[in-house]
Parts: sequence; C-alpha cells; structure tokens
Amino acid sequence: MAGAIGFMIRLQIKTRVQYRVAFLLNRLAQIIAYASAFSAIWVLIHKFETLAGWRWPELALLLSFQLLGYGVGAALSFTQMRDLEDSVRSGRFDTLLVKPFSPWAYLVFSGLNLGYIGHIVLAVGMLVWSLSAVAIDWTLFRASYALAALASSAALVCSMLTMIGACAFVLTRSRYLYSIFFGLWELTRYPLNLFPIPLQWLLLTAMPMGFMNYVPVAYLLGKPIVVVGELGGVLAPLAGPLLVGLAVLQWRYCIRRYQGAGG
Amino acid sequence: MPPIIEASAVSKSFRQHKRFPGVLGALKSLFTQQFTEVMAVDGISFEIGRGEAVGYLGPNGAGKSTMIKMLTGILLPTSGSVCVLGRIPHAERSRNARQIGVVFGQRSQLWWDLPLVDSFELHRRIYKIPADRYRDNLARFSELLALGPFLERPVRQLSLGQRMRAEVVMALLHDPQILFLDEPTIGLDVVAKDAVRRFLREVNRERGVTVILTTHDLQDIEQICPRLIVVNEAKLLFDGPLSLLRSALGSKRRLKLEFAADPGPVELPYAKLVSDAGALKHYLIEREDVSLVAVLSDLRDRADLKDLSLEEPSIEELIRSVYAGGDAQGRMSAAPPRGV
Amino acid sequence: MYGAVAQSAFQTQLAYRSQLWAHIFGQFIQVFFKIAIWQSVFGSLAQVDGVSLPQMITYAVLAGTVLSAWEWARLIQGIDVAISTGDIAVFLLKPLHYPLYLLASECGNLCFRVVAIVVPIVLTVALSYGLLPPASLLHGAAFLVFWALSFLIQFLLSLLFGLLAFWLMTAFSLEWLLQGLLALLSGSFVPLWFFPDSVTALVRHLPFAWIGFYPVAVYLGKLTPPQVFAYLALGVVWAAILGSGVLVLWRRATLRITVQGG
Repeated sequence: MAGAIGFMIRLQIKTRVQYRVAFLLNRLAQIIAYASAFSAIWVLIHKFETLAGWRWPELALLLSFQLLGYGVGAALSFTQMRDLEDSVRSGRFDTLLVKPFSPWAYLVFSGLNLGYIGHIVLAVGMLVWSLSAVAIDWTLFRASYALAALASSAALVCSMLTMIGACAFVLTRSRYLYSIFFGLWELTRYPLNLFPIPLQWLLLTAMPMGFMNYVPVAYLLGKPIVVVGELGGVLAPLAGPLLVGLAVLQWRYCIRRYQGAGG
Repeated sequence: MPPIIEASAVSKSFRQHKRFPGVLGALKSLFTQQFTEVMAVDGISFEIGRGEAVGYLGPNGAGKSTMIKMLTGILLPTSGSVCVLGRIPHAERSRNARQIGVVFGQRSQLWWDLPLVDSFELHRRIYKIPADRYRDNLARFSELLALGPFLERPVRQLSLGQRMRAEVVMALLHDPQILFLDEPTIGLDVVAKDAVRRFLREVNRERGVTVILTTHDLQDIEQICPRLIVVNEAKLLFDGPLSLLRSALGSKRRLKLEFAADPGPVELPYAKLVSDAGALKHYLIEREDVSLVAVLSDLRDRADLKDLSLEEPSIEELIRSVYAGGDAQGRMSAAPPRGV
Repeated sequence: MYGAVAQSAFQTQLAYRSQLWAHIFGQFIQVFFKIAIWQSVFGSLAQVDGVSLPQMITYAVLAGTVLSAWEWARLIQGIDVAISTGDIAVFLLKPLHYPLYLLASECGNLCFRVVAIVVPIVLTVALSYGLLPPASLLHGAAFLVFWALSFLIQFLLSLLFGLLAFWLMTAFSLEWLLQGLLALLSGSFVPLWFFPDSVTALVRHLPFAWIGFYPVAVYLGKLTPPQVFAYLALGVVWAAILGSGVLVLWRRATLRITVQGG
C-alpha cells in the first residue's frame, strides 16, 4: 500500500511540474493573500498594542499554528472531499470501490493537493520568527508538545473536512457545509477569550477548531485557557487523534449507507 | 462445475426524494421528507459459468448498471443474493476486487494529465502484480490493441477510442478471472468498436476470462457473447443465445433496396413494401422460414439494382417484441428460456 | 434589456437556497467577531484617534457587510469559465456590450445579496448593539453615492483582474491576489485611520480605499462637505482609470479571440 501511495505522490508532483509557472504564481498569490490578511491584524496591534491580552509575537504564533495545521490537514482533505460530491453523482467514485485499495486512501492521495505548499512556507516562516520573539522557556518537553500539537492540529482539520466530505454519500448537496467550516475557521485567527461564551463553547466542542491553535499556544505561553482551563494542555494533542477516530467511523458508516448496506 | 457468478432473486430499489414543485414546494421539502421507491432490479436470477461471455442487454434505465454494481460489490441488493467467485462481493470487497476487472464506459480511471503508462504503473502497484507478469501482459495486450504508439502520451491527448482500449487493457493487467464492462463501446467509432470487440472475444476464448458486458448495442453481443440476458424495466425478459431470441420472436428482417433510378413499383415475394421513395424502397420480410435468396430471386437479373442491405431489428424493436410477449405464437413462455 | 439581465441574475440566486443559509451564517459570524474585536481593543476607552466604539460598530457593519455584500470572486470565476469554454465568443456576437452585460448581471446579484443577507444582518446588529444614523442628511445622501462608486470600483477591479487571466492563464492567482489586497487595503476590517503614519498617505489614495473606507468615513461624518466632494471626484477619477484599463484589455482580448479563435 505504501508503494502505491508513494507512487501517487510522485505522479502528483509530475503533474504539477508540467504547469510550474502557473503553480508558482498561484503559490505566490496565496502567500500574498494570507500575508495581507495577517498584516491587517498587525496594523490593528500596531495601533492598540494588545488584543485580548495577546501581543503581536504571540498572535503571530497563534496564526502560524493555525495556518500550518490547516495547510497540512487540508492538503490531505479539502479539494478531494469538496469534489467528492461531483464524483459520487457522476459515478466516478464507484471506480474506487472496485479496486483492492482503500477508497479513502486512493481519493486522498491521488488528489493530494501540493498547492498547500504556499500555506506551509508562510506558516513555517512565521512560526520560526514568532518562536524567537515570544517568551517561552523552551525545554525538550515543550518542543515535543508543540510538535505533537501541530500534528494533532493537522489531523483535526483533515478529520473535520473528511467528515463534511462524507456527507456527500448521504446528502444530495453538501458543499455549502464548507462555508460553515471556513466561517468558523477564520475565527481561530484570534484568541478565543475575545468571543462571547457560546462561541467559545462551539469552537471547543461541536466544531473543535479551538484545539488547532488557541489551546496549545495558550498552554505554551502560560495563558489562561477558556472553557477547558487546566485540561486544555492535555486535550490539545489528543483532540486530533480523537477526531480521526470519529472521522473513520463516520466515513465507514456513510459509505455503507451509500452502498445500501444500512447503518 | 459451480457457477462463477450466481444471482438469486436479486432486487434493488432506491429511495428518491419526492420533489415538490414551486417555491412553496421547495420550502416544504426543507421540513418534510417523502420518498418514492424506485425499483431498479426486480427479482432477477441467473447463473454464469466460468469462461462464459454474457451480454446484459436492455434499454436505458433498465437496471443494467445497477446489476453490474451489485455483481462488482459497489451496491448491496435490497433482497436476494449475489455470489461471485464463491463470495458475497460486497462483504469481501478487497479480495473480490483483486480477481475481477471492471471497465466503466463513461467513467475513466486513467490519470488525465499524465502519460498512459503512468496509469498502468499505478495499477500494477495497487494490484501488486509481479513485475514479469505485468510486463508480459502489457506487451501482449498493447500489441493486440495497438497501444504502443501512445503509451507515452498524456491521456488528455488521446481519443475516446484510444482511451477505451487503454481502459480495457488496464482492467486485464492483473489477470482477473472475470471482466465486467459497463457500456464499453458507447461513443466509439467503428474502428475502435471493432478492435475492442475482437480483443474481448480473444481474451474470453484464449484466456478463459469470464466476460460480462452491459450494452444496448446488439453488435457487441453478436461479436463477443454467445449468451444474452435481456432486461427491461428492472425485470429479466430473456436468458439464452441470441439465435434463440431471434427465432423465438420471429425476426422481422427489413430489406432496403436502392435502384439506379426509380424503377416504378417493384413487388417481391414473401416481402411487404413498407416505404417507396422512388429509387429507395423498404420491405419487411415477415416470415423467417423464407430465405433471402427466395425473396430476391426475381431481382437476380436486374441491372439497375445498385445496392441492397438487410437491417436487423434494433434492440428497441427486439425489446418491444419481447415485452409484448410472444404468447400469440406460443414461442415465449412465462419463464424465459434458459441458455446453454 | 439590461434590466431583464439583472432580474434574471436575481432569480438565479434565489434558486441556490442551501448555499444562502451558509453564506448568511458566515456573514453573521464575520460581523459579530469584528464587533467583539473592537469592543475588546477599545476596552474602556471612549475614543481612539477621534473614533468612538459605537462608530466602530457601525463601521464594522457598513464596511464589513454592506459594502462587501457583492461577491466579486464569482465575476472573476465567471469570466475564467467563459474564456476557457469559449462562451466569451458567443457574447461577442450578441447586441450587448459584454462588460455592460456583466455589470447589469452583477447589479442583479448585488440586489439579491442586499435583500437576502445585508438587511437581516443590519437589522440584527441595529437591534442588539445599535447602529448610528448618518452624520447628516448630506452625509447620508453622499453615502449612497459612495456606495454606488464602491460597487463600480469593485466591479471594475474584478473585471480587470479577470481579463488579465486571459494572458496570465491563471485566474486563481489573480483572485487570491485581489483578495489579499482587499483584505488589507479596502478598509473593510481595519479603517485606514488606524494605519501607521508611514503608509497612511499612500494607502488613502489607492483605489481600494474607496471600496470600504471612504463610504463609511462619509457616513460617519469624518469628512467635511468639501472633503466629501473632493474624495468623490478622486474616486470617480480612479473609476475612470480602471474603466479605461478594462476597455483596453477587453479590446485586446476581443482581438485575440477573433484572430486566434479563443
């Protein structure tokens, strides 16, 4: 299985290389777009010095966690899942069900979106800068924690987008659900203590995007964490794997329903 | 020998959301959900032995694709059972998948932007085909279907005929025991159709691959499949050789005569004139025990006969006849005749 | 004829209902989190740089929702599709001038978005946080004119970027680029008053400033009547520049299609 996946990644790279000018222009444009959006926040801080008690380097850390987790997670899910609706309707998805291979793995890796490299480059750049600018007492534990939290963040995004994608098997139209995801996702650019309590709860339970960046970064910075408080530190690296489990179950259920096998 | 494929009283129904008309209807559909049951396959049974080539024929909407999906494990029957290679295809999806090949007529499995051979290489890895087996199969099949010149070309540059040939080859690279094809010749030009049909016939006869083919092109059946299953409106109508079907129905052959110039009225024995457009005349030969030679005997000495052609009844005509039932002639009984 | 085009666009939007709920939800989130941010940064301050919190709340709704109601990205995508499918050649044959056709169509879209999305949000914020009325009758009337100008400039910018895709072969990158520029420079989130002094002079004179910032600055009475007219004139100049850019590109594109056959 690994051989096939590795080969699919190679094929994706090969495809992109054919259109390399457009690919690079697109990456540049995306980096500029995100940098501009982040600059707006910088302008705000430049004027007001703090936002909900967070200074710019801390916010930059928050932003870079969010963008990096999203970049990696979405590369393994977003475009593949968004197009799943059409694939199911046209019957193209059926061709995946007759291969001796996981339909999910084939879907994800044959459509692996290398376009997220732009996000990742910008995020890593910001991450490196902000890590040097914030006041964190770095230990091996903290470093491993940060890595675990980043991996969990990517897994979280991938799971959530996959779960929305799986709805394509049971609903005729599901694309609008992504608007809801992205609407809430944009909120995670800011510290959650900024928002009214119901929204905080939403972002830490039903749509647990708060665990992508706010919770682990607040923990690393020693800031108080809303709603989950002390538990936050432990929950952040676990949120990703937990949601992966949930996504696996839901995916399987939805495909079984699609095949008429009942729940 | 046990059948390689067995369908027992298989039925499949789908629930479709009822659509209400108008704006109020759209609002209503937000709050209530009513369904209609659509029966795609209704109590169909058949057995297919190893090495057979069977055509699954029917007009659009007859439930052909649904049956193929059940045979390949994509869908589960609502009732009845399907058994392929001794297993329930849906239950052991992966293991079943390894031993079957599937070609979907209108859904390509090839990677669009990359050379054809890359899709084949991926197929090799997914099916874990041993390197030498892969090489031999690829060489042999490419030769048979003349894929050589465009193995290195990106799939998007290939014509539909070339792509279909590639799909068929890809489906056989892993030496499946059964090859399922869902409308493989649709949209192909005559040359491509012929190439694909000959290839499938050879694969079936030389390699013993069981071939199941859905189509609504009778020529596919005639060239590849000795046995034919006819379905219409979810039900099985006929299961047997094509010749049996023709004779069971009393084939009405249509004769088209083209003269150099309008010869005036031309009467033929045993044939009924159905249209007379001067130089072009159509006749219907209703009796099947009459040979064409007898019908044309009077025309033997006519020098002004430019062209003649015999038209077989189309699948739609055959289906209509089958559906209308041949009870009047006592040749079609309630239970469809079983094939060989 | 253009009226019919606008009406048709309006009705088409009506057909995509489920998407609408998601958009409304998204817009609600947008406006409420912006208000939350302003409440947070203002804290207990009565005003910052002469701007009060109630004014910023009104700003958030006007610049963030009302003036951002029109989906410019869809225009770029629409042009991209028309170019790649060759439909654009069909429009050449029609008696309408294609850009005018697009303008009429997008007016229809805008009207729909205003009715379906903007009105509910404005009402909700007005009832919960309270919205300030225009600073005066003149400022209120001027706001409407600036709103029209804002839409026109947004339209021309998207058209310009959309047409550039014809040569650059990537509408994707142009869409993202424009998105970035608008996020920062249109004032739809952070008003240009709060920008650092070093860039303020430049930023206040780029065409993007007329999309979000100036209409609301006028509404809130931050510009004196002479300034209102001055900036209106300047905005019109920008629109004219963008408009001629569009015409030049359009003519070039038309030439290329008829010569090369798309």
